[in-house]
Amino acid sequence: MDDFKDPRKTFGDALVEAGQKHQNIVAISADSSGGSGLTPFRERFPERHIEFGIMEQGVIGFSAGLATTGKIPFVVAIAPFMTARPFEMFRNDLGYMRQNVKVVGRCAGLTYSDLGATHQSLDDIAIIRTIPGVTVINPGDPIDIVKAVHAAAAHVGPVYIKLGSPKMPVLMDENYPFQIGKGVVMQEGNDVTIIGTGTLLCKAVEATRILKEKGFHPRLINMHTIKPLDRELILKAAAETGKIVTVEEGYLAGGLGSCIAELIATEHPVPMKMIGIDDQFCDTGPYEELLAQYGLQGEQIAKTIEQFLA
Amino acid sequence: MQKLNKSEKTALEKIAVQNRKNVLRLMKAGRMGHIGGALSSVDIMTALYFKVMQVDPQNPNWPQRDRFILSAGHKCLALYGILAEKGFFSHAILDTYGALGSKLGGHPDMHKVPGVETNTGALGHGLSIAGGMAMGLQMDGLDAKVYVIMGDGELAEGSNWEAAAAASHHKLDNLLVFVDRNHLQISGKTIDVMNYEPLDKRWQAFGWSAREIDGHDLKQIVENATDIPFEKGKPSVIIADTVKSKGVSFAENKADYHYWKATDEDLSIAQRELEKIEEGIS
Repeated sequence: MDDFKDPRKTFGDALVEAGQKHQNIVAISADSSGGSGLTPFRERFPERHIEFGIMEQGVIGFSAGLATTGKIPFVVAIAPFMTARPFEMFRNDLGYMRQNVKVVGRCAGLTYSDLGATHQSLDDIAIIRTIPGVTVINPGDPIDIVKAVHAAAAHVGPVYIKLGSPKMPVLMDENYPFQIGKGVVMQEGNDVTIIGTGTLLCKAVEATRILKEKGFHPRLINMHTIKPLDRELILKAAAETGKIVTVEEGYLAGGLGSCIAELIATEHPVPMKMIGIDDQFCDTGPYEELLAQYGLQGEQIAKTIEQFLA
Repeated sequence: MQKLNKSEKTALEKIAVQNRKNVLRLMKAGRMGHIGGALSSVDIMTALYFKVMQVDPQNPNWPQRDRFILSAGHKCLALYGILAEKGFFSHAILDTYGALGSKLGGHPDMHKVPGVETNTGALGHGLSIAGGMAMGLQMDGLDAKVYVIMGDGELAEGSNWEAAAAASHHKLDNLLVFVDRNHLQISGKTIDVMNYEPLDKRWQAFGWSAREIDGHDLKQIVENATDIPFEKGKPSVIIADTVKSKGVSFAENKADYHYWKATDEDLSIAQRELEKIEEGIS
């Protein structure tokens, strides 16, 4: 974990590559182009970069309309303004109308640690996953981000991609076969399964390392797709390891842990521990310190899991 | 501009009456529905589908087609009847309205009804979607145009004004909005509930070219709708003055008929009134 990359720049560069392959990709900005990593796309394809200013409801509707004419809009802005604010447009114009639009919420989770609850996006997974037919991807490292952009461009239908802001360590092999809806076993093990997603995958990796040093044998899964959920991999983990822990930078209500609990409670009940943010608006402060305040650093996660296993 | 001569106008008026009868047919099947706005906007829709727009009922997804977006999706009884009349689907389907599993719901579904372009019903969505369509058609160099009907009460939704600003900023002059100004919404007079007048000046302030017409005069509708863009580089809007429930005298200009639960007797009276109107067309 010593190779760190900027998630927004990684996204923007991947979109240029995807834009070369798919001539009908257009980038949609709500006064959010530079901050979303779209500058290289705008320079490479100026006629395919469309600025709308700060109108997050409008851009979702316009994107739906563009998609009806065969365009593949990638709409990118700060996560809460792409999800909570225009939720009805997302639900009706993209979900109900089944339009081929890719919405990217950046600086999600607590990554706007200094700007507070208006800009932190802890509920995006929970609300967007309720929309039928929408794919929800939460990439766990820069490799995942690149693969998610290409997979979303190739996938026909609405997709939400959640991105963080601070630099992320490279965790995955760049040649690994990314598939929407398929989690990845990063570490085999048999006494507990740790399922990490998005910006906290790196913390789950660290917790796994600590637990191994203490003699545990945790299985670690990168669950980069929240919807559709990889049922098979989760049920196998429940059966083979008997305990499941989820790690995410978002509200426990409705997030990854909640998705998995919905599955295993009915199909294969096993004890679960969900690690994330409880029912509260979070404080402000430096990002890593804020994670520590909510028990989301690797060492803290390892300790929580150790107590859970005791 | 496409001029409408007297015989063409008469022919179109007959189609408009037939389309009103189709609204009653749907009401008879479903027993309830948003009749007020359907009957205030049916003349505009009739003119669009039978004189203005290029569409192909045999090939509803023809890429070069003109698009019609019913932003005020609750007026769909008019649209359903017109799509049947135009040949997008059989008239028999109108009789399923209100039944479990019918393709025709209380708000239109593009995946169920041939010819429907958007899933509207929640107000304040249609103009953004229409703007995206107009933009996509322009990017592809197509001449197709996008026509929208909005309600006057609907204009209180703030999202419309995001869309209005963006359509003007991006010079979408292949876009025409009709505001079906029937002056009423569910709680009463639009100017009392939330006053957005003067509508023409508001749209103009957002960069649109605006005209006001009689929304039941088919000649005015056709001649203005075929005269877009009113100004090159600007989207166009027609503020069409209409009468809620137009054609059914006991329901005209009454907010109570925004959504109507009809009895057999009501429907018979309404049907006879439409037949009288039809006999009077010459």
